[in-house]
Amino acid sequence: MRTVTELAGTGGPRGIFDELSKREVRRAALTAVAVPGYQVPFGSREMPVARGWGSGGLQVTLALVGPGDRLKVIDQGEDGGVNAANLRRLVVGHVGCEEETDTRRATLIQSRHRIPETPLRADQTLVLQVPVPEPLRAVEHDVREQRRMHAQEDYARMWVGLYEDLVRNGVVTKSAGYPCMVNGRYLISPTPIPRFDVPKLDQAEHLTLFGAGREKRIYAVPPHTRVEPLVFEDVPFEVEHTPGAACRHCGATASYLVEVPSMDGAVAWVCSDTDFCTRNREVR
Amino acid sequence: MSWALKVDGLGRVYGEQGPRSLPGTGPEHGTSVSPATGAVVAAWDVGFEVAPGEALGIVGESGSGKSTVMRCVAGDERPSRGSAYLSAYDDGRTDVLALDDGARRRLRIDRVAVVYQDPAAGLDLDTSAGGNIAERLTAAGGRHFGRIRERAAELLELTEVPLSRMDDPVRTFSGGMRQRVQIAKALANRPPVLLLDEPTTGLDASVAAGVLDLLRNLLERLGVAAVVVSHDFGVIEMLTRRVMVMQHGRVVETGLTDQLLEDPQHPYSQRLVAAARG
Amino acid sequence: MGYSGASGGHEAVLAAEKLVERRRYGGASAWLGIDQITGRLGLAVDRVMGEGGLWAPELAARALRQAEGDVQEAAQLIRAHRSTVPRVAYSEPVHADELRISRRISPAFRNPPGSQLLGRTLDYVGRLLDLMPEDQARARLQAADPSPEPVPAAHDLTANGHPTANDHVTANGHPTANDHVTGNGHEAGGHDGGAHGDPRRPPRLLRLLRSMGMVVDRRTEGDPEPYDITRAPIRPGVPRSARLTAMARAETGALVHLWYANTFQPGRHNHEFPGEVRHGALPVRVRHPLTGAPVTVTEVRVTEVETIDDLDRAEEDRSRLDLGYGMCFGHNERKAIAMAGLDLLVHRDAGRTGVEQEVLLTLDGIEASGFLEHLKLPHYVDFRSVLDRKRAVRAAMEEAVAR
Repeated sequence: MRTVTELAGTGGPRGIFDELSKREVRRAALTAVAVPGYQVPFGSREMPVARGWGSGGLQVTLALVGPGDRLKVIDQGEDGGVNAANLRRLVVGHVGCEEETDTRRATLIQSRHRIPETPLRADQTLVLQVPVPEPLRAVEHDVREQRRMHAQEDYARMWVGLYEDLVRNGVVTKSAGYPCMVNGRYLISPTPIPRFDVPKLDQAEHLTLFGAGREKRIYAVPPHTRVEPLVFEDVPFEVEHTPGAACRHCGATASYLVEVPSMDGAVAWVCSDTDFCTRNREVR
Repeated sequence: MSWALKVDGLGRVYGEQGPRSLPGTGPEHGTSVSPATGAVVAAWDVGFEVAPGEALGIVGESGSGKSTVMRCVAGDERPSRGSAYLSAYDDGRTDVLALDDGARRRLRIDRVAVVYQDPAAGLDLDTSAGGNIAERLTAAGGRHFGRIRERAAELLELTEVPLSRMDDPVRTFSGGMRQRVQIAKALANRPPVLLLDEPTTGLDASVAAGVLDLLRNLLERLGVAAVVVSHDFGVIEMLTRRVMVMQHGRVVETGLTDQLLEDPQHPYSQRLVAAARG
Repeated sequence: MGYSGASGGHEAVLAAEKLVERRRYGGASAWLGIDQITGRLGLAVDRVMGEGGLWAPELAARALRQAEGDVQEAAQLIRAHRSTVPRVAYSEPVHADELRISRRISPAFRNPPGSQLLGRTLDYVGRLLDLMPEDQARARLQAADPSPEPVPAAHDLTANGHPTANDHVTANGHPTANDHVTGNGHEAGGHDGGAHGDPRRPPRLLRLLRSMGMVVDRRTEGDPEPYDITRAPIRPGVPRSARLTAMARAETGALVHLWYANTFQPGRHNHEFPGEVRHGALPVRVRHPLTGAPVTVTEVRVTEVETIDDLDRAEEDRSRLDLGYGMCFGHNERKAIAMAGLDLLVHRDAGRTGVEQEVLLTLDGIEASGFLEHLKLPHYVDFRSVLDRKRAVRAAMEEAVAR
């Protein structure tokens, strides 16, 4: 028999996530790696950020990160944005790891909506924040039915959706968060990364973990795994591209560019990956 | 083997499943409700075979168990007992009623197709006619948009739906036209077995006649094994060669359709025939 | 300070934080003490504890102050705090019959067994803005009620274990001013306290209805251990205990909205009769780590509702009634009544509609408002993708016209 005080443990500096919960997240992540693309339910805890603000990504990152890690956090590809800065300081303050912005030197990257331009290596892990993990929500409201569809690999209605889109619009109109088949088995939403980033998941060197805090699911694309966007054989997958657009800072044309509009109608373009852009400028 | 579909000893009881529920039910007792347990013996000891190119009718009033039999064979519900075999599945060696839900669902893609009385049960009304057919084609692995369009057009032509309507949501179609789309969808992957549940009930007489004509032509041309469930001997007469009469969950008479119509033996059959002859 | 400048994010976040702290700790007005919040804003504290899923009046008050009065935000703070603390023990199950009431009403009968206890409620206090100057109001109270006993703060019962407010118990259904029950659980007023003789623990109407054979019994053995929704994700098909916990933590407004919206649905709602509306204290017991004996470590105040509804569906036992259950932390009757109604609604719906899913997945205020507010985050990467597709559609349309 132990006393309540012993059970409670020493006070110590208060964390934002207890150790048992981290273990649970790790177990879920391991299951996710073992069954690529399968959404593993987990007992998501409340975090010091609001639900929908990266609470899932944060739990995965906190479960993985150690003091020796170099952590990069980006939002929309940017290290310096308010949300990225906030999440980074939270983790760094909690764990005492190193802050990093250079993609090449980071060991762990938490991201919202982007995969960095610089290809990731086997010794790096990408954690993507997931607002809505369920791709079948586009065609099915009932979550029990969604689970049945995944279990039986019954994705015909997703194909019908694609068919109807093409018939009605002449093009596939699904923008970011394009549904993908993982390892030929499970359909996932790759989070709202642009279609431009989808090919980076296919046969990647690195592990990608997806954390959905509000919806309490974790899923994974392990290294060297097939990730195929849902497309018909005769209708090629199109990624975002604007002919003639180039980053006004570094001149890049092959990176993911975002628009900088002005009221006079002129549109400039800049890289969304600020780390890539900075280094590209130095090279020039 | 000569059959495409074989059903043995099929039974479906709602409520207590034990043998106590059987006595006192059936046509001779005038009820399908067990006096001992209150269970409903919706169907019991139903068996039949259907050959390729042949159509079997199941006729009876509502509550006779004919639709229960169809739903069990189709996989919409699980029977209490009995087995069913498809020559197109494992050469007829596996009882398909014992398969798990996923495997049963997959049978519906290209081995057994169903046409329901209500088109909304077999179609997504907010999806186009072509899209509804695409659902079956993509479920069977179709991934080529152009070929899916071609096959959908071919099927709509076969069921006499104007191609100009192919991309319109089915909700905008008339009842008869919806039923034709449902038939097109059912035939999408050339299933060897087709189950038709009151396919023309609820349609206006003239529209129903058109759909019946279409079905008769299709059944003659496609070589499919069909089971037609109807309360209406007129429909059975038009579409089938053999017929089973069901009452209170039991088969009371079987025979060739024209002979049975000519000379029904069981009093219940006689009543149904008389009603059809009006 | 850019909203998301290439490097200004960190500085902007720090500056925003400074502005928040300036409001929190600065300013000319008097500092707001925790006891003032628990004492004067007790219902808000109760809501924070309910939606935060943690009984901790002082922490909830602290959270309310930090959140500048935003109940939702305060509940979020409490939930996040919960994630940081280890679980040292699990409390023992406690029967709701142990609830020591400070208020109990039963609209279903005029004279229910165990009597009506109106207690402290805003229900019959004129809903008029009180414009009387504070010192006058205090003087008036002093003159009318020169009780030597100080009125305890709303959450004090955890400290002394006994509510001592001037609650009124009557046996005839009409609260009268002179029937007093003192806080130690013994009858002081000399009237019928019900079967137990303890007016603080009146018998349950449900027991009466059961003995009358008027309610269906749907107690099952299938849900023995409460489903811990903070440890296991909740999804349709979970046992009833999960549904009840989810609603106990749900946002009050969301529960009320869903219940109310369903009253507009044909066939979804009959007129419910709350058989019991109770507010009172329940003991919390844990097993002593050395002796293994259950020890009462604190009490929590809860609102409990058992609502009765008619059964009229073909497959239902139409000769009987059924019961929905609601219980939440603190004094929050509208939440408990809505919860009980929805509990029954989900049960009776039996999967026909999506109401179970709605109850389980959409009522959590922290999740709903978190997701809503996340829309404020930068979304320019996916917005660019949306614009790209709009241009593609336009090009396809123009091409179709040209052909």
